[in-house]
Amino acid sequence: MKPSRFHRLVLRLVVLLIFALFPLTGNDYLTVQLTQYTVYGIFAMSLSLLWGYAGILCFGHAIFFGVGAYVMALITKGMVPGFTGFLTSTWVGLVLAVLSVAFFALVLGYFLFYGRLSGPYLGIVTLAISVILERVAVNWYYIGGFNGLTEVPALNFFGWEVRELHALFYFILAVALGLYLFCDRLMRSPLGTTMAAIRDNETRAEFFGYNSANYKILIFCIGGSVAGLAGALFATVTEFVSPTIIGFGFSTEVLIWVALGGKEVLLASFLGAVVVRILEAFLSDLLTYYWIMILGLFFVVSVMFFPRGIFGSLLSDRK
Amino acid sequence: MDLPVQILNSLNYILVLILVAMGLAIIFGLMRVINMAHGEFFLLGAYTVVLTDQAGLGFWLGLLLAPILVGGIGMVIEYICIRHLYRRFLDTILATWGLSIAIKQLIIIVFGPAGLMIKPPLPQMVSFMGIEYPSYRLFIMAVALVTIGLTFYIFLKTDFGLGARAVIDNRDMAAVLGINTRKMYRTTFTFGSALAGLAGAVMAPLMSCDPQMGLGFFIPAFLAILTGGTGTLAGVLVGGGAVGGADSLISFLYSPVVSQIVVFSMVIVVIRIRPQGLLGTKSGR
Repeated sequence: MKPSRFHRLVLRLVVLLIFALFPLTGNDYLTVQLTQYTVYGIFAMSLSLLWGYAGILCFGHAIFFGVGAYVMALITKGMVPGFTGFLTSTWVGLVLAVLSVAFFALVLGYFLFYGRLSGPYLGIVTLAISVILERVAVNWYYIGGFNGLTEVPALNFFGWEVRELHALFYFILAVALGLYLFCDRLMRSPLGTTMAAIRDNETRAEFFGYNSANYKILIFCIGGSVAGLAGALFATVTEFVSPTIIGFGFSTEVLIWVALGGKEVLLASFLGAVVVRILEAFLSDLLTYYWIMILGLFFVVSVMFFPRGIFGSLLSDRK
Repeated sequence: MDLPVQILNSLNYILVLILVAMGLAIIFGLMRVINMAHGEFFLLGAYTVVLTDQAGLGFWLGLLLAPILVGGIGMVIEYICIRHLYRRFLDTILATWGLSIAIKQLIIIVFGPAGLMIKPPLPQMVSFMGIEYPSYRLFIMAVALVTIGLTFYIFLKTDFGLGARAVIDNRDMAAVLGINTRKMYRTTFTFGSALAGLAGAVMAPLMSCDPQMGLGFFIPAFLAILTGGTGTLAGVLVGGGAVGGADSLISFLYSPVVSQIVVFSMVIVVIRIRPQGLLGTKSGR
């Protein structure tokens, strides 16, 4: 059954309402956790943008998240030489985190997409990058090495330090909502249509005169920037960055969230991240080491039998 | 460490890398499946040896058992999972990735996350041309060379190889001409898995076996295929030589981290200039 427009809108509002009302349950611990999961959700949406909407399978998506987080941490901690005073503020941190990730994605995308890499090749090359960057981060002592950087300053806007857990929760939720609306709008724009055309039939799109490599680079930059922003927020929310958030394991996790949730729908990816993390919080104590194994096998099963994800079919407006 | 020893070590690494990459390349060439669990097959091979070593049965039995066991596991995986995904190219790499996570975690559950060492099977040193060299490393090279030679023989000289190359060139035409592609797929997947298992088993005494070691071979092996080009077995030799040689040389001169960065950048530049790889002819990507 194809859900109607109204139906979908209601579902989306219900999800928003559940999130918005959650802190009223008074469970502060879970609210703090949910703040972090919402950041993961933003990260998952950025992958959905690349993978589900543009057909770019990125196995090393944590590189963007990680670079964003490290740039944010280094700038706001005043560890970048020559950056003092205003230049260590949250504003500069956020802007530079996003810009540097966008630039990184631009350079990377130029090599990858003009190298005509696509599909699994692209996936594994990005995977290799994330493994390498993780090793670089572990071995680079100035940025904390294996232990990472602690005491990253909290978000601070005009002297308002967003540290109180409810304020932080609603701030992150608002950012998530804003980014969701932005990405959703973007994919409904002519650009989104072009991306879908390239995803579905690249050769045909090129015959219509679209330079598919340039479009892919563009969406790579946008998706990367959103992931970078998520990373920057993550650094301030957890006040901590470490090499794991740039590496292979985390890239794997986000891919599983998005695949389980449903890569073709932004909100489904978002929910995939949040739900898997919530399950993990409860089940990993119970199942210890078996949790990851079960998650891996569940992932295989979902790829085989539910290629559109668990929430994907529920929330999709495409048949 | 002096230079001749280092060159031999590089050669050693290159040969094992080619062994891993060859399994990956054959599976990819024939089935269009990128087996993300290939590193974990390597891992399973290594841990088979660890298991027989711990059980007191010794290294040699493990070496013999590893390709058989891993090949069998490959066959089962093909039957249960991969078989259903042939028409969905991208999904196979996700599915095999899920499998790789599960297998790696299974190893962690059974053997623990720490590195395990096994007794060196051939502790003697051999001296020739004025240098001392561990005889076990020479043994590895011999095993790898023989296996690589055998694989080439199978693919270039036997009926099976002829059929396999026909499938690589044009699968539909091959199927029309009466080649049982399904059976071919299963054999290939089993064979490729067995190669990875063997590579893991021979490498086990040289490194501490930990659950992450599979990835450490999977990525260079994949880069080797990208560099050399898919579609021909010779591409794997060239790619393996280039990636493995550069990797071990730069690790020796600077550090493993620098070498990873340099090798990776090299590969990226190569595929930017020659997207089909150094020896590739098809634009089959």
